[in-house]
Amino acid sequence: MLHLKSHNLLIQKTLSEAIEANSNGTPLTLDRIVSDFDYTIFHISNQEGNKTILLLSIKTKAWVSIQKIDANNGLLPYLQSKYQPFAGISVSQSAEPGYDFTLVLDLASLTNESVVESSLLKTAILSFPFQLAFQESFELSKLPAPEDGSSIDSQKLYNIQNRDDEQFFIKASNDRVTVIFETIFQDETDKILGKVFLQEFVDARKRNRSIQSAPQVLVSNEPPLELQSFTSSRNPQNDASRRFITFVLFPRHFQTAELQHMSISQLTLFRNYFHYHIKCSKAYMHSRMRYRVDSFVKVLNRAKLDEDKDGLENDNQSTRRTITGRKMVY
Amino acid sequence: MSQSLRPYLNAVRYSLEAALTLRNFSSQEVERHNRPEVEVPNTSAELLLQPMHVSRNENEQVLIESSVNSVRVSIKVKQADEIEQILVHKFTRFLEQRAEAFQILRREPIQDFSISFLITNKHTETLKTDKLIDFIIEFMEEVDKEISEMKLFLNARARFVAEAYLGEFVY
Amino acid sequence: MSYLNNPAIVMDNGTGLTKLGFAGNDSPSWIFPTAIATAQSSNAKSSANAPQGLGNAKAGVSNPATSNPYFGNSTSATSFASNSNAFLLSNNLAGKRGTEDLDFYIGNEALVASQGPAYSLSYPIRHGQVENWDHMERFWENSIFKYLRAEPEDHFFLLTEPPLNPPENREQVAEIFFESFNCAGLYIAVQAVLALAASWTSAQVTDRSLTGTVIDSGDGVTHVIPVAEGYVVGSAIKNIPIAGRDITLFIQSLLRERGEADSSLKTAERIKQEYCYVCPDIVKEFNKFDRQPEKFAQFIIENQDKTTKKVIDIGYERFLAPEIFFNPEIASSDFLTPLPTVVDQTIQACPIDVRKGLYNNIVLSGGSTMFKDFSRRLQRDVKSIVSNRIAQNEALTGTKSTGVDVQVISHRKQRNAVWFGGSLLAQTAEFKGYCHTKKDYEEHGPEIVRNFSLFNMV
Repeated sequence: MLHLKSHNLLIQKTLSEAIEANSNGTPLTLDRIVSDFDYTIFHISNQEGNKTILLLSIKTKAWVSIQKIDANNGLLPYLQSKYQPFAGISVSQSAEPGYDFTLVLDLASLTNESVVESSLLKTAILSFPFQLAFQESFELSKLPAPEDGSSIDSQKLYNIQNRDDEQFFIKASNDRVTVIFETIFQDETDKILGKVFLQEFVDARKRNRSIQSAPQVLVSNEPPLELQSFTSSRNPQNDASRRFITFVLFPRHFQTAELQHMSISQLTLFRNYFHYHIKCSKAYMHSRMRYRVDSFVKVLNRAKLDEDKDGLENDNQSTRRTITGRKMVY
Repeated sequence: MSQSLRPYLNAVRYSLEAALTLRNFSSQEVERHNRPEVEVPNTSAELLLQPMHVSRNENEQVLIESSVNSVRVSIKVKQADEIEQILVHKFTRFLEQRAEAFQILRREPIQDFSISFLITNKHTETLKTDKLIDFIIEFMEEVDKEISEMKLFLNARARFVAEAYLGEFVY
Repeated sequence: MSYLNNPAIVMDNGTGLTKLGFAGNDSPSWIFPTAIATAQSSNAKSSANAPQGLGNAKAGVSNPATSNPYFGNSTSATSFASNSNAFLLSNNLAGKRGTEDLDFYIGNEALVASQGPAYSLSYPIRHGQVENWDHMERFWENSIFKYLRAEPEDHFFLLTEPPLNPPENREQVAEIFFESFNCAGLYIAVQAVLALAASWTSAQVTDRSLTGTVIDSGDGVTHVIPVAEGYVVGSAIKNIPIAGRDITLFIQSLLRERGEADSSLKTAERIKQEYCYVCPDIVKEFNKFDRQPEKFAQFIIENQDKTTKKVIDIGYERFLAPEIFFNPEIASSDFLTPLPTVVDQTIQACPIDVRKGLYNNIVLSGGSTMFKDFSRRLQRDVKSIVSNRIAQNEALTGTKSTGVDVQVISHRKQRNAVWFGGSLLAQTAEFKGYCHTKKDYEEHGPEIVRNFSLFNMV
């Protein structure tokens, strides 16, 4: 698996099963927890007393900061308008206790499309600040461009706290939208592997002509200029492994709604993608090392004196067996 | 193979050949014990020989400590930057975790070295000494190779991953 | 730390099926075969243990600038762009720059993928124990990131292991989970102990003890595992080579003998799951069938468009099939000891002071124990063996026995009892205290997982 998918496979599966069971006349009793990246938990349950209606609630770390972004409380109406067009989905006015947001799904009228959309709930919530920024950028681009070729920056800096100690920022300008991820590594190994990976993100665009049109990527240890207004309020525990990764989106990345959706779902998965691949490389290195261990043991075994001399003794040392006589595998 | 590697490995080989002349030797201090003298605090100087230190450069060294019934060989693997450092650390830890399979591997390296072997007279009696030396030499060659391969893999993978990610933005 | 609010992940990797899910749920989120389909290296088939593409990677890295056709600078811009796009979009990464280790499928997708020529299927777990760690590591990687969508740093994990798993295997698991995945915390539990814990939900259970005999019957083999106060009595474990697959095959052979319209394995399997039950007495049951023809059932298979119908009569196999647990001679010629006798032998092989507890708490686990009245029949048969022995003993010694209670416990979560027991334990507030955390691992190394404290039995 190279790319992480932006929709939640498990929600999709659970809902499809529920629909099928419902159409067979035996609705499922559901009370399930489903997780997603970055401290996100979904809860799928039956509406009280009515098994054909499901509640899909989400609780995500980023919710609080996203809600704060818009002074007019635009998040709920945004989600409402997003889910309006899909059959069988309605937005619950009050979220289930303990959760941030609840969708009400009517099993009888859910379509495949609405199932997919429900499984994209997390992305939908995260897309709100992006949409605001894209909007702003469109508006700024209508202003006359400054003579000296500099850009007009928005005064607003959207800050989304999506993990305990990591966050990302979005800032709109007339000719681009800048997305800045702040990331730290807890593990020593990851710190160093992460550095290698990040460097390649910066270089990839320069090296490979086919992805020239991808967003520009910058990595720095220091907060970029865009964040200067913000840095003062950050906790001073400035970890040495803290990195800032800046993605510069050009209008071609958010021209149409479809492009916006693609860019957003890629960007919101950036951290997960990046960490997933660090883990995959470690797993691959493990398998290399296992292979090496085998080959070294083979070389060492060449040194053994002939089996018949004191084979018994040797055997005991080199291959260990379980109580049932099975060999242990390293 | 670079020019100075061959003499370095040869020096290690000859030193090991000289050092691996071991015999059974019961402890002089604890009755009915037979322990690798190189590993225990020793009051009788005649049991320990002068350690041999073969050094190619600051980063690649071998220390051979020999005694009457055991030899401890410690290898410092080349670590040019922090990536290699972490890879060497991971790799040696992985091997030490499986020390059971390598009869002569020490579970902990001695200070300042990446990995240590402890060869006792028991080993020289059940294993062919020249093959044992072959193993150590081959080990030294292969570890360097493996570390640089892993480093290259890491870079290649990072590049691939980055390009694949950014490629998603190409519409 | 907010990962404390995240549900723990419970993974039960069995020989045949893997159950994945979150603690607190009543059933696993995913159940799929423990299978992995890996890309076949086209040039040379490397041995199972060698990481695929190692040779390839070597060739690649020795000359990184020229050996990648897709990212060099020599090709023209246009053809290059189309090439790389096609390549980036497809999941088929085989043969490209040593990324074979990302090109694989697990579970049901693996079964599908292996039908093509590009993938080869393998089962990393044999006889309950992990055989191929490379495959297992990738299996877990995909389970976590694709199916459970969890960042391992943010979750605690509960894994299961078979009884008598060597501690070195545990260390390997810890190495993978802490070093590759950086998981927050890890607990490895013995499957039989979890099955016991799952039985606490049954109304028959009054005290939550971790002493009991677990009968775990899956597809391939049936184990009888005595557990005393949370520890498996390893020397007394017994295996029976009769399990789900044998029952299915037996039904199939009966269908074939009668010449039914359809006698495929799939049909036999469905008949087993939907129609079979355990009877108290075969002879009486035969008579009952002869007197009441409505006992005979019919199984109807429709094809996809519901145009054609096949009708299959189901007769004595309804009660005969599960009967092979109690009278193995009707199906097998080499294994002839009935299950109740094996249970009795197992308990008799245990220390005398725990035997009462073991008789008193016989717990069923696994799909092949799901037959109706299985527990009742087993309880009756074991009881009769025990009371015969007591009667004999009383006659010989003349002393009065205090009697032994035999109780077989059956409950609703029996099918995935091990997973469910894990889910129960992992949702308790104390669970995280029993886990070893990443910090502990870094402090003490892999050997830390050799010991886990047992759950409180309150």
